[in-house]
Amino acid sequence: MTAARNLPAATLKIFGLGLFAFAIFGPLTNLLLWSVAERWYTPFKLPVTYGTRYWEVVFRPTGDAMAALGTSVWIALLTVAVSLLLSIPAGYALARLKLPFRALILIVFLLPQAFPSVAIYINVARIFYTLGLTGTVSGVVLVHAAHGLVYSVWIAAAAFAAVDRDLELAARNIGASPLRTFFTITLPLATPGIIASAIFVFLESLDEFTGTFFVGVPQVSTLPLLLYNASMGGNYQIASITALILLVPSVLFMLFIERFLRSDVLSKVGH
Amino acid sequence: MTHKLAFSLALALGAALAAPAGAQTLNVATAGDQNMVDYIKDYLGPMFEKANPGVKVVAVGTGPGDSGSQKIYEKLAAQKAANTEKWDFDVIVAHQKMSGQMVSEGLLAKYRDRIETGKLVSSATAANALGTNVEGFVMPMFQSQTAIAYNPDMVKSVPGTYAELADWAKANPKKFGYNGIKGGMSGVAFATGWVYAFGGDADKLQKGPYDAATKGGWDNALVALKAFNQNAVITPGNAGTLDMLNRGEIAMGPVWVDMFYTWMNDGKLPPNMKLKLLAPGMPGQPMYYAVPARAAQADLAAKFIAMATSPQVQADGIVKKFNWYPGIDARHLEGKLDAATWKKLFTDLTPDDLSKNARPFPIAPYFNDILESYEKKVAN
Amino acid sequence: MSRSTALGLLLVAPALALVAALFLWPLGFSLIAAFTAGGEVSLAHFRKAFELYSTDIVFTLLIVGLSTVLIALVSIAVSGVLTLSETGWLVAVLKQLYRWPLFIPFIVAGQCMRTFLAKNGLMNNTFVSLGVLDPSQTVSLLDWRGIVITFVWKQAPFVILMLAGAMASLDRSTIEAARNLGASRLRSLIEIVLPQVGQTLLVALVLSFVTMLSVLSVPMMVAGSQPTMLTVDMAFRINAYGDYPTANALGVISYAMTAVAAWIYLRHNLKQQREAGL
Repeated sequence: MTAARNLPAATLKIFGLGLFAFAIFGPLTNLLLWSVAERWYTPFKLPVTYGTRYWEVVFRPTGDAMAALGTSVWIALLTVAVSLLLSIPAGYALARLKLPFRALILIVFLLPQAFPSVAIYINVARIFYTLGLTGTVSGVVLVHAAHGLVYSVWIAAAAFAAVDRDLELAARNIGASPLRTFFTITLPLATPGIIASAIFVFLESLDEFTGTFFVGVPQVSTLPLLLYNASMGGNYQIASITALILLVPSVLFMLFIERFLRSDVLSKVGH
Repeated sequence: MTHKLAFSLALALGAALAAPAGAQTLNVATAGDQNMVDYIKDYLGPMFEKANPGVKVVAVGTGPGDSGSQKIYEKLAAQKAANTEKWDFDVIVAHQKMSGQMVSEGLLAKYRDRIETGKLVSSATAANALGTNVEGFVMPMFQSQTAIAYNPDMVKSVPGTYAELADWAKANPKKFGYNGIKGGMSGVAFATGWVYAFGGDADKLQKGPYDAATKGGWDNALVALKAFNQNAVITPGNAGTLDMLNRGEIAMGPVWVDMFYTWMNDGKLPPNMKLKLLAPGMPGQPMYYAVPARAAQADLAAKFIAMATSPQVQADGIVKKFNWYPGIDARHLEGKLDAATWKKLFTDLTPDDLSKNARPFPIAPYFNDILESYEKKVAN
Repeated sequence: MSRSTALGLLLVAPALALVAALFLWPLGFSLIAAFTAGGEVSLAHFRKAFELYSTDIVFTLLIVGLSTVLIALVSIAVSGVLTLSETGWLVAVLKQLYRWPLFIPFIVAGQCMRTFLAKNGLMNNTFVSLGVLDPSQTVSLLDWRGIVITFVWKQAPFVILMLAGAMASLDRSTIEAARNLGASRLRSLIEIVLPQVGQTLLVALVLSFVTMLSVLSVPMMVAGSQPTMLTVDMAFRINAYGDYPTANALGVISYAMTAVAAWIYLRHNLKQQREAGL
């Protein structure tokens, strides 16, 4: 009885969901199709010939893609290292120590998000020319780290703030020094949040295009640059395969993020 | 799964870090599309390494169009300003405009008289780059040409001149597409050809002398081009034009002849498409091999270029593989190329067509004027 | 006390230094380059920027503005469904669906859309196969509309995430009270839920506005070059001409656009604080 009455409503909901799913997955399906299409031209609606020829092209050992993947991962790892090195102390200070101008400092870290970045990167590249940092991995890592610092400082601060002060006080009470308390109590408890920020910074660096476009070219070739060049050159198969390679870490992260970013950490972001 | 991931990551890292710091590394920087980089990576590089054991060829692409060449120029200029001992690149491949600028700023070395293929080229473009004397500093890698690609099923009577094209576009709105001047050089070539056709003295633009007042006389041409753009589609790049032609979304558009044939071979263009060169002319350009003034491996670089401009390599690599017109004089390729391949290049555009309507780009100052006037009066 | 302060500053210093060196310094650089010509303060670069790119400036503002509005509408709708819907399976499926574009970088989104939105691209072909559209009616969306679609596709999930999170942490008693009094779910959404999460929505939208103004890959890959967004013009100025002053002038104009967005946010913030009696 209720089912019959609810049928039109249910149909509408299913239809709406279907449309929504098409909107979300349509473009991604397009990507998948292009990655297995060997020949595709008008007036055919789907690829004329399917094949994995371009996968072989992309994954050949001497190819650009493997080198670009290596470079991208290497840069991302270095970026995470630099970010963590800077943001753990900063996050701890913001969460636990009395800082003058605390709000101002937090805003300074937020500023890079508030300004369109192309103009900034243009000038960073200009400055790097005089320092000989263009076309180098270090230059690109610096740019990625500065960009990632924004997230990692805020998340680290939130992670430290979420650690129960009582636990730290208890440790101090039984005679542990502040440094020992930090390493044995505070840091381990804040680790899940910090790992989340590390993964976030890693992904941001892996996917970063604009900064690398100005600072890294021509010697530093990352996957996003490869994607861009392949796409603009009309080589959609290679562009799509490269895009899929880029997607794997991001999708994995999305599927596992719940484990690391607990709600109590999230709610402390920005305070 | 984590182990596999870690293992493959380690492998990738290892591969990236363990790139052989061979006895000698030849760094080649090339502007242009990905096919230019692939040419060195997959063809010239291995060929040179085989002939010169112990040498590793590293190729780097700086991007398509003049902006790719600009990046090469900026790198060399920065290293000159910093007084660096040995510069990063040993061989560069760049477009005419920036090559001319690099020669006039003393960034390149003279090498053409040292190599045996130096005397195989006699065309004016080997000595003159858009008005700058570059004799001895460059060797043309290839000659490329723009033309209008069209789908004969959709275009019943092909226009033969720019004026006819304007009428055709009016009668068939949104069936012609090009990529403006920011998306790639085929669009730049089209706009330049328009100014040649309607902007007055085309010869003066191509040969000089430069007169800053000339651009004032282009107003009519530019207004007409702006009106033309209303009937045309602006595509996202060189490949964007070819793409839309492929999907039948536009019926005509300017393309580089080599890209056209390469796409057709790769199954990315319907096999029935054809080319037409519009009168009074459409530009084409060579790209140049050059050696930076303080290249770390100047001798190896010259050897590399000599190999790349040898008749056999020009025949197999440039003409057969990439459908470009050769950089050295065509007569030296006789006997090195089978007749079928040679004819293929001249099917749609006969040597006669080319001699009538193939033009160089204008000299550099006029070139910049055209680009800026387009931005001011047509795009804005 | 002061030792702790000194230690705190010491710990924050390296991070601050990196941001100062790689953001504040280039920012200052860009302002100086945009406003000086031949050693003295001048608006010459702005004049040139307007001469060449006035259409693109308006175009950029319209695109990003329109995208922001559409993102707001889509996110409010989807978050509303996620919070107020009584159909369990709908909420569960929607939750799994909407988050996918979140983790897709702009450059990949650009690549997807480059062929998806074409006149004979996958989207139109699907509609034609389903009989919804005639082949002659298909339209290429590879212009400003494609940019807007890509932006909304990529950014809406982010705003939905923040908005749904904020809505989920609301006290449900206010919603239930309204429903008990007979308000429809739509009305409860607009009059009860939205005002309480307005702050989060505004923050998310302002962040999205700035993010969209910073994207270079999407306009380059999805749309033709005329008209185009300011980011493409800036890159073109640098790459083709090495013309830093004009590019920086364009940069300052884009800063001004974000300043407008920030001002809207601050005004709302201040109004709220005044109303709360602070």
